Amino acid sequence: MDEYALGVLTNVGLFSFLALSAYLLLVAGEMSFGQQAFFGVGAYAAGIGTAMWGWPLPVAALAAMALGAAAAWLVGLPTLRLRGLYFAMATLAAAEMFRILFELVHYQRTIDGELVGPDGTQGFRGIRWVLERGIEQETFLAAVWALVLLVLGAFALVERSRLGATLRMVGEDPELAAVLGVNVARVKLGVAAAAGALAALGGALYAHHNTYVEPRNFDIMLGVHSLAYALIGGLGTALGPLLGVALDIGLLESTRVFQGYRMIVFGGLVALLLIVRPRGLLDELTVNRVAAALRRRRTA
Amino acid sequence: MLVDVVQNTLDGLMLGSAYALLALGFTLIFGVLRRANLAYGPAIMLGAYAATWVNLQFHPGVLVLAAVTIAGATLAGTYVERLCFAPHGRRGAGDAAAIASMVGSFALWMQLEEAATLWLPKHLYGFPPLYDGPPLGLGPLTLRVEYLAMLACAAAACFGLHRLLNRTRFGLAVRAVVDQADAARLAGINVPRVFMLVFALASALGGLAGYLIVAAHEQVTPMLGMWSTLKGMIAMMLGGLGSLPGAVVGGLALGLIESHSQWLFGPQYRDLIAFLILFALLAVRPSGLWAMLRRSPAPAP
Repeated sequence: MDEYALGVLTNVGLFSFLALSAYLLLVAGEMSFGQQAFFGVGAYAAGIGTAMWGWPLPVAALAAMALGAAAAWLVGLPTLRLRGLYFAMATLAAAEMFRILFELVHYQRTIDGELVGPDGTQGFRGIRWVLERGIEQETFLAAVWALVLLVLGAFALVERSRLGATLRMVGEDPELAAVLGVNVARVKLGVAAAAGALAALGGALYAHHNTYVEPRNFDIMLGVHSLAYALIGGLGTALGPLLGVALDIGLLESTRVFQGYRMIVFGGLVALLLIVRPRGLLDELTVNRVAAALRRRRTA
Repeated sequence: MLVDVVQNTLDGLMLGSAYALLALGFTLIFGVLRRANLAYGPAIMLGAYAATWVNLQFHPGVLVLAAVTIAGATLAGTYVERLCFAPHGRRGAGDAAAIASMVGSFALWMQLEEAATLWLPKHLYGFPPLYDGPPLGLGPLTLRVEYLAMLACAAAACFGLHRLLNRTRFGLAVRAVVDQADAARLAGINVPRVFMLVFALASALGGLAGYLIVAAHEQVTPMLGMWSTLKGMIAMMLGGLGSLPGAVVGGLALGLIESHSQWLFGPQYRDLIAFLILFALLAVRPSGLWAMLRRSPAPAP
C-alpha cells in the first residue's frame, strides 16, 4: 500500500474516535462543541507518558483515557443540565480553556540529548514511541482499526441492551425518562465520561501517529467537524459517524481532483444532503427499516 | 493607576460596541428563527473580502467600501438562508430541523471561507482606515475615532432596530411570527418572507460591524470569519440568548472583560478569563447578564 493511502486510512480511523465521541453524546441528547478538548488531553497525556516517562503506549493510552474521562466528567458536572445551544457553548468555552492551558504548559526534559515535552505554543515534539519500536505503518493502521472495530462492537452490544434503550430514551425525552425512574443526571454524566475517554483514546493514537502536536490542532474547527461527521452520517447507528469521517477525509481529501476546492464541494454537498436527509445518511428510521428487513428475512 | 482603569474601561466599551453589533445580528436570527447561524461570521468575511478586492482595484472612498462590505455580507447571508434555513421547515419544526440548519450553516462556513481565500489568497491584506488623523486626547485619556464611530453605530443600530420592531408593519409581522408562527401565517403574514428579510437584515448588521472592525484594524485576514462567529456567539450567550438588549449588554461586558484582563494579565489570559466567565455564567445563570440585571426570575434553558 502506498504511503499516502496508509496516511488517509489511518486518519479516517483516528478521527472516527472523535466522531464516535460526539455521536455518543448526541444519542443521549446533548450537542457538544468541545470534544476536541479531550482529544487534546489524550494526545498530551499519552505523549508525556511515552516520550517523557518511558511508559509503553498501551499503558499511556489507558492513562490518557482515564484522564480524558475525568476531564469530561468535570466539564459535564456543572453543564449537563443545560440543553441545546447552552450546552454547546458551555462545552465550547471549556474546550477553549483547555486549548489555552495547552498553550501555557511548559514542561520539558532532556532525553538522549534532546529537549522533549510540551513547549507552549511551540507544541510538543518527539512523540516517537511507535517509530522507535520499529513498528511498521501497516501495523499501526491495523492496530487503530482493530480498536475502532472493538469500539463499534461495544456500541453494538450497548445498542441491543437495556442501557442502549435507556440512552436513547434520555436523548429523546429526558422528562419522560426521569418519570420512568431513570437517573437522567447520572446517565448523562456517565455518557460524557465515556465520550471523553473515547476522544482521549483517539488523541493518544493521533499524537503517536503524527509524532508532533500543538495546541491549535485542538481548536473549535476540529470539534465542530466531529459533530458534523456524526450528524451527516446519521444518529441511527455507530456506523454513521464513520461514514461521515470517510466522506470527508477518505473521499474528498484523498481524491486530489478537488485540490483547493475541497471545502467548496464538501460544504455545498453537505448543505444539499441535509435538505434531502435532514437527520443524516443513516438515520434512525433507515436503520430500523434495515433491521426489520433483516429480521423478516431471518424468520422467513 | 486610576487613569489606566478609566482608559481600559473606555477601550473596553468601544471594543464591546463592535461585539455588541456582531451579537445584535446573531441574536436577531436566533430570536426570530430559534436557530444558530454558524456561517454568520464567514458571510461577514466574504463582504470584507469583496470590499478589499474593490479597494485594491479602484481605491474608492470609505462609504463605498462600507456599502460593498454590507452588500457582500447581506448577499452571502441570504445565500446561507436559502440553502440551510428555508428548506428546513418552519420555526418550531423541532430540534432536528434546528440542528440540520446549524450543521448546514457550518458546511457553508467552510465553503464561504474557502471561496474568500481562493479569491484573495494572501494571509493579510491592508484595509484603508475610516479616519486617518491622530486619536483624540481628553486630558490624560485617548480616544480612537474609529472606536467612537463603532459606539455611535452600535447605539444607532439599537435605536433603529427598536423602532423597526416596535413602530413598523414589518416589525409587527416579525413580533407576530416570534409569538406564534402558525397564527401569524393564518393572519396572512408571509412567514418565509419574514424569515428571509430578518436574515438579510441581520447579515447587513453583521456587515456593518465587519466593516467597522476591519477599518479599525486596518487589515483583513482569513481569521475574520471564525472570529466574528465566535465573538458574536459569546457576546450573545453572555447577555442572554435571543434578547436584543441582552446582545448589547453581553457585547459591552465582553469588551470590558477583555480590556481589563488583557491589561492585568496579558493576551493569553485575556481569552482564558473571557471563556472562564462565559463557562461559569452558563453553569450558574444560563439566562445571561441581561436577565440578571432586570432581576427577573431566570427562565429554564
